[in-house]
Amino acid sequence: MVMLVLVQHFFISRLVILHASPDLLAVFIAFISISIGQKTGTTYGFAAGLISGFFTGNIGLSALVGTVEGFSAGYFHVPDESHATWVKKRRMYYIAATTALLLGNLLQALLNDPLSLPLYVRLPEMVVIGTIMSMILGALMYKLVLNKLLKD
Amino acid sequence: MLSLFRFIAKHIAYLYFLLYCGISILLMQLQRKETLDAIRQRGLAMNASVAEQLSNFTGLFTLRQDNEQLLLQNARLFSQVMRQKQELSDAKAMQAASSEAPAWARQFKLARIVDRRFSATDNMVVIDAGSRQGVTTDMTVLTPDGLVGRVIEVSENYAKILPVINKNFMVSVVSDSTRTLGLLSWQNGDERIAHMEHVPVSSPLKVGEQITTSDYSTFAIRGVPVGRVVRISKDKLFCNIDIRLAVDFSSLSYVLVSPAKPSREKIEIMNGDTGRKGQ
Repeated sequence: MVMLVLVQHFFISRLVILHASPDLLAVFIAFISISIGQKTGTTYGFAAGLISGFFTGNIGLSALVGTVEGFSAGYFHVPDESHATWVKKRRMYYIAATTALLLGNLLQALLNDPLSLPLYVRLPEMVVIGTIMSMILGALMYKLVLNKLLKD
Repeated sequence: MLSLFRFIAKHIAYLYFLLYCGISILLMQLQRKETLDAIRQRGLAMNASVAEQLSNFTGLFTLRQDNEQLLLQNARLFSQVMRQKQELSDAKAMQAASSEAPAWARQFKLARIVDRRFSATDNMVVIDAGSRQGVTTDMTVLTPDGLVGRVIEVSENYAKILPVINKNFMVSVVSDSTRTLGLLSWQNGDERIAHMEHVPVSSPLKVGEQITTSDYSTFAIRGVPVGRVVRISKDKLFCNIDIRLAVDFSSLSYVLVSPAKPSREKIEIMNGDTGRKGQ
């Protein structure tokens, strides 16, 4: 997780388009939540937020965002005993990631304003563009790594 | 009690969520507290350190491009410095030339030397003032130190000067204390030494006397310093007199052009009588 935080902070967060950047951590938290469960996802989200906040200097907000992302994604948890098809698992993964990202970015946009942008600029940029960029990254992650883990 | 445990077990995720949210909000509230601030600062320091290392590493890939940009920037700055230095020295020289000039010279036009040929046979100066600036032929050109020459050709913005150190240049001069008259000319050789001719051996002229332009000149106003007598040797009828010129032509960059000219009527009558060219 620390590695992921470092990659997110030093590489991925530099891909900025209109003040928004992809969020690898949110995708990871969503994946943990749907594959392991809401409780674990929430804990992972909180921990990831704490570590991330250590680097960004906004520990409380990062932890809150991570917690909300983990908790919200946990509603789409697919238990092992459900014997769900991989198509359903994939669908759940995308829904969970999108929900977590939308809520996380919304929270960030509402509570964090380092550039002093007006809310009507911050909300569409961070929520819409940030979520789209993160989902593109999430899809890539799914194609490359996560689908194998989910199938297992 | 059992039902409470059941409730907790059933809603454990919510409890976790509430607990984490509570801690997060508490952390947000305590953001400015010393301990948290110290952690935050340490995090930022680590962040900056890693970012610096990364930036150093990625900088290696753009080194060539950065170097080219720096070279370009250097060239731009260098040309700017050169231009500013030149402007500064021009302004200083202009200020010096006008402040050092005597009061009677204030009406003179200030001009910059834009070209000059000081060869053994052909010494010529071009200044950046011409007919537009009111310069006409036969005007006297001087500096606060003394006589430089005479305007011989004028275009709209430039004028050609025949300097004292030209073999075709001649001017009527007079010494300041003994009032000895003569004709100043320059032959090839030392650019600081001119000669005073037509001074009879009986003349009381002494070494060290200052020489100025006389009333007999056809172009120069009288009283312009020309130089100082440095050597007198007597020949059969006339003296050989060396005059050390007042103007240092080697470091000449600004000159004054005198708008005053001797009376045309006087020149006409002098030329009519003697048939000689301007001196």
